[in-house]
Amino acid sequence: MSAGVLSALALLAALAVSGGLFARRALLLVRLVQMGKPSGIERADAVPDRLRQEATVVLGQRKLFQKLVPGLMHAFIFWGFLALFPTIVIAMIGIVDREATIPWLGEQGWFALLVDVFAVLVLIGIGIALWIRKVVRPSRFEGSHLGEADLILAWITGIVVTLLLWHAARIALSLNEYGAAWSPVANLLSGLFGDGDVTEALERVLVWAHVLLILGFLAYLPRSKHLHIFTAAINVYFGRTRARGRLEPLRFDEDLPEEEMRFGIGTVEDLTWKQMVDSMSCTECGRCQEVCPAWATGKTLSPKLLIMGVRDHLFAEGPLALAARASGEAYDGPLVAASSDLEEMAWDCVTCGACVRECPVNIEHVDHILDLRRHLVMVESRFPGEAEPMLRDVERQSNPWGKPQSERAAWAEGLGVRVLAPGDAVPEVLYWVGCAASFDERARTTAQSTAKLMQAAGVDFAILGPREACNGDPARRMGNEYVFQAYAEQNVATLNEAGVRKIVASCPHCFNTLANEYPDFGGAYEVVHHTEMLAELVREGRLSPAASEQTITYHDSCYLARHNDVLAPPRELAAAVGKPIEMERSGKRTFCCGAGGAHMWMEENARPINEERVREAAATGAETLAVACPFCTVMLDDGVQSTGGSMRVADVATLLAEAIETDG
Amino acid sequence: MVLAYVEHAAGELDELSLQALTLARGYAGGELLDAVMIGPGAADAAPALGEYGVTTVHVAQIEGSFAPQGYARAVAELTGRLSPAAVVAAGSDRGNEILAHAAVMTGGVLAANCVRATPGDAAEVTRVRWGGSLLEEARVHGAVKLLTVAPHAVAIETAAAGAAAVETFTPELRDEDLVARISERVDTSTGGLSLAEAPVVVSGGRGVGSSEGFGVLEELAGLLGGVVGCSRAVTSAGWRPHTDQVGQTGTKISPELYIPCGISGATQHMAGCKGAKKILAINADPDAAILASADYAVVGDLSEIVPAITAELRKVREA
Repeated sequence: MSAGVLSALALLAALAVSGGLFARRALLLVRLVQMGKPSGIERADAVPDRLRQEATVVLGQRKLFQKLVPGLMHAFIFWGFLALFPTIVIAMIGIVDREATIPWLGEQGWFALLVDVFAVLVLIGIGIALWIRKVVRPSRFEGSHLGEADLILAWITGIVVTLLLWHAARIALSLNEYGAAWSPVANLLSGLFGDGDVTEALERVLVWAHVLLILGFLAYLPRSKHLHIFTAAINVYFGRTRARGRLEPLRFDEDLPEEEMRFGIGTVEDLTWKQMVDSMSCTECGRCQEVCPAWATGKTLSPKLLIMGVRDHLFAEGPLALAARASGEAYDGPLVAASSDLEEMAWDCVTCGACVRECPVNIEHVDHILDLRRHLVMVESRFPGEAEPMLRDVERQSNPWGKPQSERAAWAEGLGVRVLAPGDAVPEVLYWVGCAASFDERARTTAQSTAKLMQAAGVDFAILGPREACNGDPARRMGNEYVFQAYAEQNVATLNEAGVRKIVASCPHCFNTLANEYPDFGGAYEVVHHTEMLAELVREGRLSPAASEQTITYHDSCYLARHNDVLAPPRELAAAVGKPIEMERSGKRTFCCGAGGAHMWMEENARPINEERVREAAATGAETLAVACPFCTVMLDDGVQSTGGSMRVADVATLLAEAIETDG
Repeated sequence: MVLAYVEHAAGELDELSLQALTLARGYAGGELLDAVMIGPGAADAAPALGEYGVTTVHVAQIEGSFAPQGYARAVAELTGRLSPAAVVAAGSDRGNEILAHAAVMTGGVLAANCVRATPGDAAEVTRVRWGGSLLEEARVHGAVKLLTVAPHAVAIETAAAGAAAVETFTPELRDEDLVARISERVDTSTGGLSLAEAPVVVSGGRGVGSSEGFGVLEELAGLLGGVVGCSRAVTSAGWRPHTDQVGQTGTKISPELYIPCGISGATQHMAGCKGAKKILAINADPDAAILASADYAVVGDLSEIVPAITAELRKVREA
């Protein structure tokens, strides 16, 4: 038997072992994902949008570049591997016949140059990665598998170094099909080798080492946190394409087949396939952890640790559930929430979505958290006790503070605001006031200002008064989907019956629910936030504020900026009435006030988020902290008081109303 | 005749049920008034219902702890047997729950939280809606009419009558009737006067300044036979434990007198003290929201005003 045939047989054996190990693991992962429950939102539509995500987020590494240096590190390695991919085949061919290569491509000088350049970029990337991990040591890696990461970096280094040295040996032996000058690095390294028997042998050793490292990597990958190489592109493709603030509705209809019925995440069998792919896509980079307000203030929650917890649970319990199904038995395993600290983590979340925005592979952490809450609330009836009055008051009194519904329009007394009675002519705009602006002393000012401004600009508007009920958001974010859906149906019926087409909402939470979530319940309206409407009125010259000298820093509400892209209108208003200064974390990278995810009605068990945010605002030196959300108003005003500050907290609508009054 | 469901705690008659009995007796208007009682101690307490005008008490034998659907089954069975003009119970959590189940079982119509009821083919009722902010006039149609009586809307009246007759019966329960039942009771009382039940609560907010600042509040509360509460800002600052917190996310209180000192009156706080009969607010800020909700207000420094009240109280007591 010739050496070539022997080598070919040995290569086939190595391929079989590696491929077999890979396939065995991959099959398990596929079967797990197949077991996953359907996702409540459409994930196969909008193909052009999804392809664009694939092009920008995966190929373009868009979200990785949200941090420049780590982004370059990853892009070098990722693009390097795409460019170097054909060299795997070339090396395998080289094992069988060292004189052969991929026809045409292997002989191209430009390809040799490409390989050389990208091999060096990969090594630079690894250098940056080591510098980040060993010197900078950012806190985002806390809790990640650091040793595993080192092993993977070493492995990749081995693959690239053996490739370069193999090429160098080939140049030394004049086996290169291209001009050596095309391959400057390998050419330089070829000086290490002679042209005798030792190099002949080394050439064989290097090509084998290169191929075996790759095949070993292939078998190891699906068992490691580096699994994202295969899953990330899939996860990005099926990620949300729009309405990031929208939650997946649960279906309670009786005709739903039982295997599709779920009340959030109970056991591993309740995970949706997307949640499973999410957990398999996490590389533990910790960018989510770094931006999480709960983690930043010493709570248990880290979105990264949460997703890792879901993954650990999936890999521990998933195979047992599969085995039970295969033998026709019912799987009766532990709750996902019972694993590690997941239950506590689920309650720490403010649903601000910073984690989702940062995640380079589009993991949707908030959906996991809400599904954990849903099961705990609706099935286990286990949730922070202090939120119970809120849930009860929302359910019975249709507002979270248990105020009488008959007082809902009390804020508008003496303002001459039209209250829409059944059968009345539909106004151009329906003003959806929301519970906070209807009942809370501090938030009422916003509603009064907005109403006065709309009157001054001659907008034809009306309110629903006592017919407006809580939109259900506090109950929904707390996990009580059932109560939320009852309100969604009730409010949609009221709005549809009144013939409402355009709504202006004063609360970003109402705004998000009305605009993104009510369409799931048959309510399709044009919904704008009051800052959008007021900015338009200023632009059109229907309101002419007089700018003052006061310095204003605007705090973006998560549900306006991050979830719904409303960034410019409130800033236009701030600029129209004073001198704006930006905070360090602003726009879509805003930092939560601490009230989201029903935390307005829960106690905090570590450092307060609102104080953290207020300190950041105070650092700008601004006199006024402008907001556009009633909950931000209350949280930040409390924060100013508890930190002993002197900043004034006011809604941009109130600032605008004052600027108009001084004008006229 | 009219049938009333009467609640009791191990034989001790429930006050709300006696109010309901009074309304039921008026509704019966001289016709027979029967009652149904269930649970340990029912048979012992039953004869005493004669005092409230009940002729016969039907005691249903159901083993074990409270099971809403099981109790409702007994009420429904009796309703089928006796065909009363109406079934009446207290508008308590339990009364509403049992009558709601019984309404479904009998195909009847339930009007909850009534304050007044006049019999007829269509009974005319006035009932409380929207958390007490609205009174609704309604007509109740249907062969079986079930009413619950809003708490504290009807004054208890006794009738000059002897002991009631007691008849026991064993209702035919279905398996599903006992699925939901009380499995465990956890006592929440920690001894002493609880914040939720105290007749007087003196609370401090951020305006108190420190945990030591609560000394004057403790003194005043002690003198008035009350307890000390606080706002969320205080527990956040670590001056008092969370168990002392009055508010939406703390304890909801309903004292005869509430004295918030240095508390601005945020919505989350007011949601916890809206049950207070009278509010005396002490605050240095004349624009504080709490002053709008208070029955009496003193604008000034609480560290001067609270000790002054205490001193005045001592003087009055000693005199």
